[in-house]
Amino acid sequence: MKIDQLADLIQAKILTDNKSLDNEISGAYICDLLSWVMSHANKGDVWITVHTHLNIVAVALLVEVACILVPEGIQVEEATIKKANEEGIAILSSNKTAYQIAVEISKFIPLVK
Amino acid sequence: MKDLSLHLMDIVQNSISAKADKVCVFLTADNEADLLTMIITDNGEGIEEHLLKDITSPFTTTRKTRKVGMGISLLMASSNMAGGDLKIYSKRFEGTTLEASFKISHIDRLPLGDIAETMVTLIMSSPDIEFELSVSNKKDCFKFTTMEVKEQLKEVPITQFEVLSWIRDYINSEIKIILGGVLNEILG
Repeated sequence: MKIDQLADLIQAKILTDNKSLDNEISGAYICDLLSWVMSHANKGDVWITVHTHLNIVAVALLVEVACILVPEGIQVEEATIKKANEEGIAILSSNKTAYQIAVEISKFIPLVK
Repeated sequence: MKDLSLHLMDIVQNSISAKADKVCVFLTADNEADLLTMIITDNGEGIEEHLLKDITSPFTTTRKTRKVGMGISLLMASSNMAGGDLKIYSKRFEGTTLEASFKISHIDRLPLGDIAETMVTLIMSSPDIEFELSVSNKKDCFKFTTMEVKEQLKEVPITQFEVLSWIRDYINSEIKIILGGVLNEILG
């Protein structure tokens, strides 16, 4: 599944520009402990986190996740979006909780890679 | 990072990479001020000025293999999350001091973790570096230094199993005494 398809599916807003929407999503990962994400998330995951600090862009870049998805309508700082645009990392925003998102995307994103 | 001992391990690796041969760690819990402070100071080669001003950014790194470095940014995030702050002072070819603070009572403050295990791991992997650990609750304090231990040991290497076991137990029991009633968590 592509990032824009995911956004359509869960009615998420794409906060970044449209450069990296072609990335293929091959899994999903939910965690807010950044060091844990660094060692456990997989390349190609959509990463769901409540963090909005610049650090999430660095972690996303490091793990090569497909995109970042911020749940519960949490406001994302302008500096984070700017850096994400520079680095080609898409950030999506949804009003749903991480659990609601996971349930909805589970039919479309395989649980095991 | 799940606890402060993992942050400590990570930050001291920076000191080791900066060719420090002495690293001092101060842990101070001040109940009245509701503040836990972790200070790490080394005599390494220091941080270049142009890097220092953006040092807490995850996109500041001296790594050649990748463009992000997370150690200091993660510790800063952990501090800020718990109502604390992080400061770094560094002078080229003299050394670096990092100071991270946390509100003791804050629900998001990381637990202390296994400080003794971190110290033992550091000693084991860099036996030639002198490490100091000072733990204080403003009334009482305790200080451990590898230099003193080495003096007592004479020819026996500090990396010997029995010595490391003793260091681990000693640090653990002292941390329990000094911080036991101060931090609202179960220690060791």
